[in-house]
Amino acid sequence: MTGSRSKSVVLWTFVIAALLMLSAPTVVVLGASFTAGNIITFPPDGLSLKWYGAIAQASDLRQAFVRSLIVATICTVVAIPVGTLAGIALAKYRVRFARSIQIYLLLPFTIPLIGSGIGLMLVFGNAGVLGKLWPVGIACCVINLPFMIWAVTASASNLSPDLELAAANCGAPPLQRFLYITLPAVLPGVITGSLLMFILALNEFLVSLLLVDARSVTLPVQIYNSIRSIITPDLAAISVVFIACAAFVIALLDRLVGLDIFLKSK
Amino acid sequence: MGVVDAEQPAVEPHDRIAVSVKDVSMVFGNVHAVKSASFDLPKGRFLTILGPSGSGKTTLLRMIAGFDRPTGGEIFINGQPVSAVPPHGRAIGMVFQKLALFPHMTAAENVAFPLKMRRHDARRILEKVERYLDLVRLGGYGNRRINELSGGQQQRVAIARALVFEPDLLLLDEPLAALDRKLREEMQLEFRRIQKELGVTTINVTHDQREALVVSDEIIVMNGGSIQQKARPVDAYRAPSNAFVANFIGVTNFVEGRVVELAGSRATIEANGLHLAGLAADATLAGGKPCAGAVRAEQIRVAPKDGHLDGLETVVDGLVVDCIFEGERVVYEIRVPQLGDVLMRVFDHDPESHLQFGPGDAVRLGWNARDMHVFAK
Repeated sequence: MTGSRSKSVVLWTFVIAALLMLSAPTVVVLGASFTAGNIITFPPDGLSLKWYGAIAQASDLRQAFVRSLIVATICTVVAIPVGTLAGIALAKYRVRFARSIQIYLLLPFTIPLIGSGIGLMLVFGNAGVLGKLWPVGIACCVINLPFMIWAVTASASNLSPDLELAAANCGAPPLQRFLYITLPAVLPGVITGSLLMFILALNEFLVSLLLVDARSVTLPVQIYNSIRSIITPDLAAISVVFIACAAFVIALLDRLVGLDIFLKSK
Repeated sequence: MGVVDAEQPAVEPHDRIAVSVKDVSMVFGNVHAVKSASFDLPKGRFLTILGPSGSGKTTLLRMIAGFDRPTGGEIFINGQPVSAVPPHGRAIGMVFQKLALFPHMTAAENVAFPLKMRRHDARRILEKVERYLDLVRLGGYGNRRINELSGGQQQRVAIARALVFEPDLLLLDEPLAALDRKLREEMQLEFRRIQKELGVTTINVTHDQREALVVSDEIIVMNGGSIQQKARPVDAYRAPSNAFVANFIGVTNFVEGRVVELAGSRATIEANGLHLAGLAADATLAGGKPCAGAVRAEQIRVAPKDGHLDGLETVVDGLVVDCIFEGERVVYEIRVPQLGDVLMRVFDHDPESHLQFGPGDAVRLGWNARDMHVFAK
């Protein structure tokens, strides 16, 4: 009895410590954003929504936020067809050099972000497109694509190869088989992957920092630029809006496909 | 083999043949999965391809469905060669081993899929889906998702999906293998009922000899990629064409020996110094050559040591090694020293006394000469 009791004490200590560590940054930012004072503090100095009012007025923050949304959208729109097709092909068909291709597609994971960022900066710089928004979207897509492929592969490899044969047997030519059978069956993976891509691109900082200029600055870079001068509570408020966006996407994911897809996939 | 030929139906006219397989072979790398298989299947018949795993039966079925292309020979469906026709261009319904129902669709959507792919109009699709769900006794279940249906109901959806577009041919790839025995036997009869009701030509693949005997009009027995025998169930059972078929269908005892005399359909073999009379069941038998005499477990009668087995041409002495009570019958395992200590299995259906013998009892065994089929070895 005492053994199981002390075990549960140790377990609960760990659980509570982990929960505190994980939620502390969010709680601090959330608290600080409601302060009535003029400097960023936790616990907040009185309660007010004035800093939320301030960010609603601040056109530079608002525009940066819209730019971040555009970047995230471009990234997701490109990632959906590319990642879905690559994921299905790797999981289902006996592609030549499948293993090498898989490793190649995972490369962005292994290269430090600063390395990829400088590489992409040189590429886009040479092409003369630095400062536009779409290269940032493409860059986010490239560095995060493994997440998309992983999500699609996870649901495509659960797919029985008999399903396509059964569809063929029902009279479906190859394109119809793909559209009516394979695609709907991997849809949970596609949704998961695209929402992940959206969040990751929305939050992407390091690579964006290297690819944007004053006219195309995205929200994380804008926040970073601001804290280099004075740290005011409006940054906490915009961070909360940011966190809320991410939370909304996660909630959407849970509604659409269920979060258990993360728990199940290896 | 005269017995078998006399009972075979006359050769069918050409336009009555649904499927014709001519010298079809399949080679994967250096594995000869199917070796020059040929058969004709008349329209409306229920054919079962029976064989152990690795016998090539599933490969043959996949070639008929169009999933694999034969490396040799040609398959004709309704007289047309089909090797160049992709699977979606063949009017063949198939029930897969693991059913392969579309998990993101309801039962009705699964059944509607073949019609949708064939561009039937929406009203007609609704009507036919309902009719075929009724046929498989799933009326009212159309809106259920696949994972909300029981194993037996999923089977029925798969059957409806395979039949709804009125295919020329229905293929069954061991769909019953995973079911428990009671449900399997129920579904066997269900397949037979639906097949008779619609009159659709059907090819079923199985390793279950009982299923083959119960559902089929004709059986093809395959082993090692080759067709061993094609016959009606009763003929495959009563007049197996070789030792493999005799062993694979039913419970059969083999007495090994040498041919000493051949006279018409009668063969006399010598086993362990004993002369036994049997039926020559193999055209390749020749005097002096090694052979095996096959006797079904139910054709052997058993009596006490001093009892009489009147009218039986072969009688030997034995010692009961084991007796297995199976409910409706008792299976005796009996060692026969006179035949070189061979173990013989004997079914006993004595209506008066079950378990009349126990292990260690001395008994007599007997059978008729016509019940011992002699095959070359």
